[in-house]
Amino acid sequence: MFLASRNVCCCGIKLRADLLSRSIKHSTSATMPFRHKNARRIEGLDSNVWVEFTKVAADPSIVNLGQGLPDISPPSYVKEELAKVAAVDRLNQYTRGFGHPSLVKALSQVYEKVCGRKIDPLTDILVTVGAYGSLFSTIQALIEEGDEVIIIEPFYDCYEPMVKMAGAKPVFIPLRCKKDGNTASSADWVLDPAELANKFNSKTKAIILNTPHNPIGKVFTLEELQVIADLCIKHDTLCISDEVYEWLVYKGNKHIKIATLPGMWERTVTIGSAGKTYSVTGWKLGWSIGPEHLIKHLQVVHQNTLYTCPTPLQEALAQAFWTDYKRMDHPDCYFYSLSRELESKRDRMAQLLKGAGLKPVIPDGGYFMIVDVSMLNVDLSDVDEKQPYDYKFVKWMIASKKLSAIPLSAFCALETKKQFEKYIRFCFIKKDSTLDAAEVILKNWNK
Amino acid sequence: MLRRAGPSLRHFLLQRNISAGHSSCSREAKMSRPVQARRLEGIDKNIWVEFVKLATTYSKVNLGQGFPDFPAPEFLREALLRALSGGSPMLHQYTRAFGHPPLVKVLAQFFEKLLGRELDPMTNVMVTVGAYQALFCCFQALVDEGDEVIIIEPFFDCYEPMVKMAGGTPVFVPLRPNPPKDGKLMSSADWQLDPAELASKFNERTKAIVLNSPNNPLGKVFSRGELGLIAELCVKHDVLCISDEVYEWLVYDGKQHIRIASLQGMWERTVIIGSAGKTFSATGWKVGWVVGPDRLLQHLRTVHQNSVYHCATIAQEAVAQGFQRELTLYGKPESYFVQLPKELQQKRDWLVQSLDGVGMKPIIPEGTYFLVADISPFKSDVPDVPNSDEPYDSRFAKWMVKNKGLAAIPLSAFYSEAHKNNYTNFIRFCFAKEEATLKAASDILQKWKQEKTSS
Repeated sequence: MFLASRNVCCCGIKLRADLLSRSIKHSTSATMPFRHKNARRIEGLDSNVWVEFTKVAADPSIVNLGQGLPDISPPSYVKEELAKVAAVDRLNQYTRGFGHPSLVKALSQVYEKVCGRKIDPLTDILVTVGAYGSLFSTIQALIEEGDEVIIIEPFYDCYEPMVKMAGAKPVFIPLRCKKDGNTASSADWVLDPAELANKFNSKTKAIILNTPHNPIGKVFTLEELQVIADLCIKHDTLCISDEVYEWLVYKGNKHIKIATLPGMWERTVTIGSAGKTYSVTGWKLGWSIGPEHLIKHLQVVHQNTLYTCPTPLQEALAQAFWTDYKRMDHPDCYFYSLSRELESKRDRMAQLLKGAGLKPVIPDGGYFMIVDVSMLNVDLSDVDEKQPYDYKFVKWMIASKKLSAIPLSAFCALETKKQFEKYIRFCFIKKDSTLDAAEVILKNWNK
Repeated sequence: MLRRAGPSLRHFLLQRNISAGHSSCSREAKMSRPVQARRLEGIDKNIWVEFVKLATTYSKVNLGQGFPDFPAPEFLREALLRALSGGSPMLHQYTRAFGHPPLVKVLAQFFEKLLGRELDPMTNVMVTVGAYQALFCCFQALVDEGDEVIIIEPFFDCYEPMVKMAGGTPVFVPLRPNPPKDGKLMSSADWQLDPAELASKFNERTKAIVLNSPNNPLGKVFSRGELGLIAELCVKHDVLCISDEVYEWLVYDGKQHIRIASLQGMWERTVIIGSAGKTFSATGWKVGWVVGPDRLLQHLRTVHQNSVYHCATIAQEAVAQGFQRELTLYGKPESYFVQLPKELQQKRDWLVQSLDGVGMKPIIPEGTYFLVADISPFKSDVPDVPNSDEPYDSRFAKWMVKNKGLAAIPLSAFYSEAHKNNYTNFIRFCFAKEEATLKAASDILQKWKQEKTSS
């Protein structure tokens, strides 16, 4: 069509129109002109593990322990707040771009308590469309071509494409199991300090930290955070700290915010999520908290990308936060009660997997559990695909066992996929009936 | 550009500070190198941040920022409540990333009707966080460094910084006023593109043109002839069209909103943008969409999945139900898409009368809920400041909100830097307001006029 219009542009409108109308009928199959190509920034970023696996697991007969979304109900007061808000006229219209006033106020109060420092709701906080939106705003604001960004493997899969979309180079460092394969806990997966130090150089702009960690469930200790902090300070590097699972930390563990370590507040953007805090992933509200001199750049990105987040959801979330802020010193605060609920689900999940002859890696935090499936000895060598073992295993498991999970190599860079291909990830923020169904499958595994 | 100070000196200073027990909490130390990405250069200013603050602080009557002060329709709020009470708890969890299935399905059905072509809800429609994010996805997906993007002035202000953030070069072409010779009030239709001028803006670097019809701030509804002109140039130069049609239902005086994508050769090169906020008077819900060919939308999907990924489920569910209702009532008098423009037309006429009555000359908009007025008779209250950086109309609007409590937006907000002083006398009013608000605005204007006449 492109060629046709070029050739006849001097031959009169009628002929061109005729050619155009003919080409329209074929336009969907016509050769795409060069100009309609995608912008370079998204080259190679079109595939996405979730698109593939959520489709496969959408079949309701499959017990879905794959994608990280709760099938438990959010607390009733959270839903009630949204119902109340729907009745207030002005809350259906635009609110403050960088965050609804009552929400940023509530967030500043909660996090002031947690961090032990003053947080200005207007300058130190940005409300975004989920923590995903915070990651995007942070990376677009602070990362560019020529920069290197250190990503710890396995990693929540969006870090790599987001860093690439910003034109920067991701530099990977794996968590390694220190117990020689016989791992029982997420704490056994550690960074090698010398290896980590080697990854830092003058081009390093930031390191992305995720604690509690998805998919392993590791909760970085103070010592481990100090190693990272020391390197950030030494190399004048930023820290992007994804702490969406901050409240989901199990007995014997403490979530520590790297931003509270000396020298770190001024170089850290800490990211949180309403979806994970209140089991409302579909509300898609998150936030970035940090020093004004960093947050102001995220705000510029935000005002040039989507400008404001939905008002009614922000207001309802603010009210929920006030409810829990008031009881932050009490055990029935949702931040702690959810954690307790999930700990028992974690323990149950671990039991079920052990019962099937598997060795799960017990997570210290988060709502995911990884497990080495190689001991099941499922032979998939005849499956004619170049995919890593865990991808093939999960597809086989979905088809033959009606149970879904996510292959761990989805969370690794190309070069490292082999190291993690015997692991798959289960999500356990599921109601009892879902776990019951999983139990049946796992108990009958060998039958 | 030297981005870093010598590591040894900085390290030494830090070590000294740490060993002196100097806690970072007590000093606002910054990183020693420029920290922000270059893509933010020149896009940090935003007129709304300033004017919204002024309106919040000073205004008694806010006709500034574009949102209704009347409620969203009852059926929409009921849809949300139904979803909350009876709907599945999974409505609080992630839905399909590219759009909640009930919403993309009904949008496809709707737009099939409007465009007269078959649409696949999965590949020809995507849901975004407001039309704002749809615009962002378009520029990020399709504009590269070195690309030129034609923007028609005056324009919704975000187009320029978004093009820049994508590394593109905005190229401006103005709508020029051709006032009617009989001394009647101007209409937005009297602001027109010069065909030769428009054609001269297209070259081999032109990647896209941004069309906004009905146009914010003027309210212009581009005619079939005008769209045909743009379409012809797009086809001739193989240029994309980003068509911002958020005010598609708000057209008056029996005018018709024509979708450029329905013109010859345009479907395959156009991305149509829409907004639930404007369609259903619920700007705070931030639900928008794009409609277009798969081969363009696939790239928007890539941007979307790498930036926000999902949009809020429950808002999408309620908007889907709103559209279902409108689908069954399409064309009927009870349709919200029939009632809303009817109501707004009355409000438009009311405001036009009020402004004309005090000597401000409104440009009668053919669409949207904005109108622009010439405030010349009132200029004496705000003396000119020669060599001022700030455009006159901006100073006027700020003075007006502080001293008269009436908020409006200067027209220069909708012009590129180079052209901000092209027009000094126009400000934009939003009339999507309750009668009481419009009456209060009228009272302020009347009083102001009286003060001027008596002084």
